[in-house]
Amino acid sequence: MQRNRELVNFLPVVVLMVVGFASVYATRSSQMDASSLTYGLLFVGLFMLVHLFLRLAAPYSDPFLLPLAALMSAIGIMMIYRIDPDLAAAQTTWLMVGLGLLIIVVAVLRNYRRLENYIYICGIVGVLLLVVAIVFGQEINGARLWLKVGAFSIQPGEFSKVLITIFLAGYLDSKRELLSTTTWHLLGIPMPALKHLGPLVTMWGMSFALLLLMNDLGTSMLFFGIFLAMTYVATGRLTYPVIGGILFAGGAVLAYNIKGTVHNRVDIWIDPWSDAMDRGYQLVQSLFAIGDGGLFGTGLGKGYLLFQNGEPIIPALHTDFIFSAIAEELGLAGATALIVLFLIFCYRVFKIAIDSDDGFSKLLAAGLGAGFALQTFVILGGVMKLIPLTGITLPFVSYGGSSIVANFGALALLLLISNRTNKERRS
Amino acid sequence: MNPPIRKLFYVTVLLFASLIAMLGYRQIIQAQDLAENPQNTRKVYAQMRIERGLILANDRIELARNHKENDLYYRLYPTGDMMPHLVGYSNPTYGQVGLEHSQNSWLTGTADEVELVNLVDTLTGKQKRGADLKLTIDPGVQRIALGELQKIGKRGAVVVIEVKTGAVVAMASNPTYDPNELDSNWLALNADPNAPLFNRATQGLYTPGSTFKILTTAAALESGTFTPQSRFRDDRGTVDIYGFTVHNYRTEPFGEHNLSEAFSESINTTFAQVGDQLGQNRMTDTMEDFGFYEKPPFDLPADEVAASGRYENGELLKPDDPMDRTQVASMAFGQEQLLVTPLQMALVAESIANGGKMMKPYSVDSVSDYNGTIVHQASPEVWKTPLQPDTASDIKDMMIKVVNEGTGSKTKTGKVQIAAKTGTAEVTGSGPNAWFMGFAPAENPRYAIAVVVEDSDAGGGIAGPVMRETLLAALGL
Repeated sequence: MQRNRELVNFLPVVVLMVVGFASVYATRSSQMDASSLTYGLLFVGLFMLVHLFLRLAAPYSDPFLLPLAALMSAIGIMMIYRIDPDLAAAQTTWLMVGLGLLIIVVAVLRNYRRLENYIYICGIVGVLLLVVAIVFGQEINGARLWLKVGAFSIQPGEFSKVLITIFLAGYLDSKRELLSTTTWHLLGIPMPALKHLGPLVTMWGMSFALLLLMNDLGTSMLFFGIFLAMTYVATGRLTYPVIGGILFAGGAVLAYNIKGTVHNRVDIWIDPWSDAMDRGYQLVQSLFAIGDGGLFGTGLGKGYLLFQNGEPIIPALHTDFIFSAIAEELGLAGATALIVLFLIFCYRVFKIAIDSDDGFSKLLAAGLGAGFALQTFVILGGVMKLIPLTGITLPFVSYGGSSIVANFGALALLLLISNRTNKERRS
Repeated sequence: MNPPIRKLFYVTVLLFASLIAMLGYRQIIQAQDLAENPQNTRKVYAQMRIERGLILANDRIELARNHKENDLYYRLYPTGDMMPHLVGYSNPTYGQVGLEHSQNSWLTGTADEVELVNLVDTLTGKQKRGADLKLTIDPGVQRIALGELQKIGKRGAVVVIEVKTGAVVAMASNPTYDPNELDSNWLALNADPNAPLFNRATQGLYTPGSTFKILTTAAALESGTFTPQSRFRDDRGTVDIYGFTVHNYRTEPFGEHNLSEAFSESINTTFAQVGDQLGQNRMTDTMEDFGFYEKPPFDLPADEVAASGRYENGELLKPDDPMDRTQVASMAFGQEQLLVTPLQMALVAESIANGGKMMKPYSVDSVSDYNGTIVHQASPEVWKTPLQPDTASDIKDMMIKVVNEGTGSKTKTGKVQIAAKTGTAEVTGSGPNAWFMGFAPAENPRYAIAVVVEDSDAGGGIAGPVMRETLLAALGL
């Protein structure tokens, strides 16, 4: 039975949680009080509650997803708690909201395939969210990703990502026959009818507009990457990702030449050292932190992450650069374990896509999986200077309400898809 | 649709594998480079988490200790401005200099010899702590040396070395500074034209003037061509070497005299002739025998010790850099682009006192881990052997004469026989730099000394008492 397996899967999570929090507390007890250890209990309690809910609402859903998400969030909260206990309290609140959304989605969208009737609404809302961010958003580090609503800062892109994935799943599912039919050849490459290329061109245009208006290479790369992956899954043709990739590369080169921020990011990526006190500071400090970690890390709470006054040495340490902190304190061993955790999560998501028996479900799961994988790659590759750095959250781990809530929303969809597949298999 | 999904997963595996590979590169292969990057201040902070070892004088008074604040250890220097140039400082903002810098691996306990002990203690839960340094410095002598310089109110330096061992007993540089007050005084200290942060004893380069005649005399005696009794005449008070006229300090002629008298009366004209006769090769060979043209192997960081020799535009020339005859002649009495450090001249004095053997100078006597176990003990070593014992003895006799009958009478005292050589070097725009170097007791030398005083009185006499009082303090008289 899936839920019993899930319960067993939770055991290592609970053990790691307790050990982790206890060791952070032990090394930094002078700055923290023992009552903060209740985070661990609260955390375990919340996930047990969701587990019990799933027993009733989605008993056949995948037994790995929730424990994996719990483990990643636990590592995140532990690290955030170590950086700033106040932020950990806020993150715990966001985690509750995220789990609340998960429960609502699972309860309301039991028959999630009804979403197929509302894909255009999803698409429009998804695009509108981005437009709102661009028009009303605050510029932080040159990128317009944030929307200030009262006391909260919302990152509409995180929700938009899920909504647009839903739209694309429905749209591509209905159009995939047409998109896979060859009607003409371009330089010997089989091409579908021009009119069906519309969405591809639109999506490219949208990603490029995002790049120019949001000033953010990472977000546009993520959206376009999700789109290409889903088109590829829908049509089975490499033509789409190849042509799309060329289009995007062309757009990126253009952006490099006309947008200062993009130019900056690439220059810093190539050589952060020559401007290590100013533009390259964040990346250089991230590399120093990662390098300090070595094989086994400095140990939780023992890294050199904060100045004497408690300010983080690396700006955005708790959000975009949380992995640098993890790599320093847990070393290559711990950080690799985390990457493997992400990979296992991706594996489960792609497996859900493969196991499901309808196009919409396959596309939705594969799209969410591709987005998850790509987002992880973009930020991790960025902070370790594998690719140009771009500010984006590490799913489930980074501090950030929008990110946590949107990711648990996506997780709910994946649970529903697997619940349906497994239920049908049993009957 | 399943094959594309599988391929998507393979791409994901590939991407994540590249992340892990890059992470491994950064954390293992590149880690050392990243840690040593000069823009990386993490190391200084990491070290501030370690309780540094103490720095103690030879009587075990504390020269450097720690105080703890928010898990970090900060350095305190209880003796203040007594000897910051040797001890140095370890400061998170301004870095490390002096022994704090060069002996960092002992002080932080990262030297191989103490690493194992520390590992065991780490495993058993004891706090990591660095090893203590015990210096050869005698604070009593150090205080007198610095105090005498401060008393005459001049910039200058004093170096005192134990003759038999090469142990540095005092090393003073004036003006000095308080390493506890760096944070509030940093800009002023750097802007001060008197350069208080500068260690004049090991980095200060001064024209040696007549003190260099010791080397010329050594070259002359070792050549076999001259003896202390070799005869010279001075009828005019000047001598011409290839059209270059050499003057004596005193205008009236010295008349007939021997080499020994030329030494004690510091007769430039005679030394110019001796140098001319010896030639460049013999002169520079002797300089190299005395350790010129290389940095003395001292405990301070290499960039805090200067080599002595001929300089041009602030650069040390090669020993074989060609000189014409007038240059060799004027070098023989201590001019001609020659620049020397007080440490070097103290070593020259030490080698004469020690029968021709120049000991390797050192200031760290022993290192002990915090259990009190000595993990390193300095042992005296011969660095150079510039002289035969007979030659050393001849020069010693001349230096005794300098004090008893010659230019060094300012250092004469009834308490002990001192041997000395003086020197003055004219400086445009201020008073001359005055040198006094020598050792005591002359018959059985225990301490060698070099004193330099900038902007002194015309004859350089005010440096004499600095040497005398410091030597008496060292001898406990």
